[in-house]
Amino acid sequence: MGPVEREPFRWHSTVSYKTVDTIVTRGYNTTELVEKGYGLADVIFIDFQARIPLIKEAKMLNYLMILCLDEGLSAPAAISRIVAKGHTILTQSVGASVLAFGHAYGAFQAFGKMLDKYLSRAEKEKRSLVEMAEVLVKENKDSLTLGVSNLMVKDPAAKRVFARAESLEVAGKYIDFQKRVVKAAQKMGKGPVDLDMLGAMGATMFDLGFSPESTWSIVAITRAFGCGAHAIEEEEREPRTTFGQSLTPPKYYDGPPDRPVPPLKDRSKMAKAAQAKTLEEWRKKFEEMKKLKGSGYSIVEEIEDPRKLPKVKK
Amino acid sequence: MEREPILPRKTQISYKTEEKTVLRGYNLSDLAEEGYSFCDALFVIFQSRIPTENEEKMLEYEMAEFLEHSMSPSAAAAISTMGGRPQLPAAIGAGIMTFGGAHGPGAAHGYMMNKYLERARVEGKTPKEMGKILVDEYMDAGRPVMGLGQPQHIHGDPRAVPTHKKHQELLGVGVYLELQLAIEEAFNGRRVAEGKRPLAVNMIGAGNTALAELGFSPNAAWAIGCICRGFSCACHATENMKRGRAWMASTQEKMIQMLDLSMIVYEGIPNRPVPSQDEREEYAKKELEKGEYKRWAL
Repeated sequence: MGPVEREPFRWHSTVSYKTVDTIVTRGYNTTELVEKGYGLADVIFIDFQARIPLIKEAKMLNYLMILCLDEGLSAPAAISRIVAKGHTILTQSVGASVLAFGHAYGAFQAFGKMLDKYLSRAEKEKRSLVEMAEVLVKENKDSLTLGVSNLMVKDPAAKRVFARAESLEVAGKYIDFQKRVVKAAQKMGKGPVDLDMLGAMGATMFDLGFSPESTWSIVAITRAFGCGAHAIEEEEREPRTTFGQSLTPPKYYDGPPDRPVPPLKDRSKMAKAAQAKTLEEWRKKFEEMKKLKGSGYSIVEEIEDPRKLPKVKK
Repeated sequence: MEREPILPRKTQISYKTEEKTVLRGYNLSDLAEEGYSFCDALFVIFQSRIPTENEEKMLEYEMAEFLEHSMSPSAAAAISTMGGRPQLPAAIGAGIMTFGGAHGPGAAHGYMMNKYLERARVEGKTPKEMGKILVDEYMDAGRPVMGLGQPQHIHGDPRAVPTHKKHQELLGVGVYLELQLAIEEAFNGRRVAEGKRPLAVNMIGAGNTALAELGFSPNAAWAIGCICRGFSCACHATENMKRGRAWMASTQEKMIQMLDLSMIVYEGIPNRPVPSQDEREEYAKKELEKGEYKRWAL
């Protein structure tokens, strides 16, 4: 194949550009922004939403970011400290902490999509928000990402987020709906439950105009600052871990009992291939492997069913 | 020295005492002493079994072949990360983490095959028949069929067909290969009938099918593939560290660098003055009312 005439590679962006002398985000010169008194929360709004926030919106984001900063020795801090024990550089520790955010811990993307789905259903199906909140709770009763749980029954911090959003007049449809979800969950639940931090922060961020993805990123990155402190403290006051140092006593092990390694020459006598030639044989082997933890067989991730997808025009 | 586990957990995988490390019941040192290979050990850790000789050979073939792929998202991420001069593991980690829904979607392909094989079993169809159904369902929905086509190797991934051949030579045809071959046949049958050029199988279609037939679950197969590529990411990142320039933006190089300022094309909101703090609230209200920002919000 001969050379093809094509436009040379460029980084295309609607977020920002820079020249030798300026850095511009969403049309604003970043130095001009800070010189004129705009702060971190303002620039986060500009980067993610391409707009300067109202003062009250920036205040609310600041409030939320303070709450995100630390949560004790939860997953991000623990990972950050474990990485730091290897005497890595700090960025590895704080970078690893961001990876703790998923669809259970800090599940802001999943939570946001869930609220959007039911708000949109309420509109389409012409049902009241009270009714739709009950449907949401019923259909997601075992979900870890309801934004309602028994985690904050004694801690008023989550409820104070909504109170602050209301006093700043930034509360909108998401906070309103989430409050209804809390009521529905309390009505239907067995034990005491209340608004939790996922629900409080998520709904407030969405009312500030942040998408589920932006919220997920902003919270995780804010948490990473706190994890930096955890990583530093680990370095300052705890011993480093060397390769091969940590033992795993047999009391933690419940796999196959000790067995001799068969001589290599006997491999063909004892080794059985995994391959299945029939579907029944395949299913049988599959079920057997599900018992083996660490094999991955009992994890089934649902993939899209093409029959249920909207048709894409070709 | 404190030697208690950092994270106390029950595990079926391994334990370690002052005397030995035991993997799925086997003393790890004995495994190595006996002459088993690293690939054998991968079967032990993910499947708790010693593989047949041909299974071990197939995994060896596939890993050696998959390790290097020149400039793909993984290598580019590793090189780009190294441009900031962190410690090398950060660049390797970045490379491995590029694997997702488009670059090496191994787990998704595995789940797709498992789902349709189960449907074949329940509906009393053969994997071959189900391969055609799969293709029709995906193509009717206008969705790509995983395992086919590659944006760089437009004449077919040079590794894929040999992998299929090696698979047949070493393992023969099992339910996974039967399904995958049927997918390829049905897919290209439809494309040709629609006047399009056929698309060759890629390394997900060929390599992941072999890994599934070797007994690795979708996630185990994915881990093996992605981490194997980590070796090459490390190599590319080290090359940048030792022979390249940090930042990759120098104007002194003969070739325009990846991060040269001339590489940036800005398509966003034109330059605008920053309002003073006195004007701010009124300005922000107008922006909200106009709603133009929504066009750009992410």
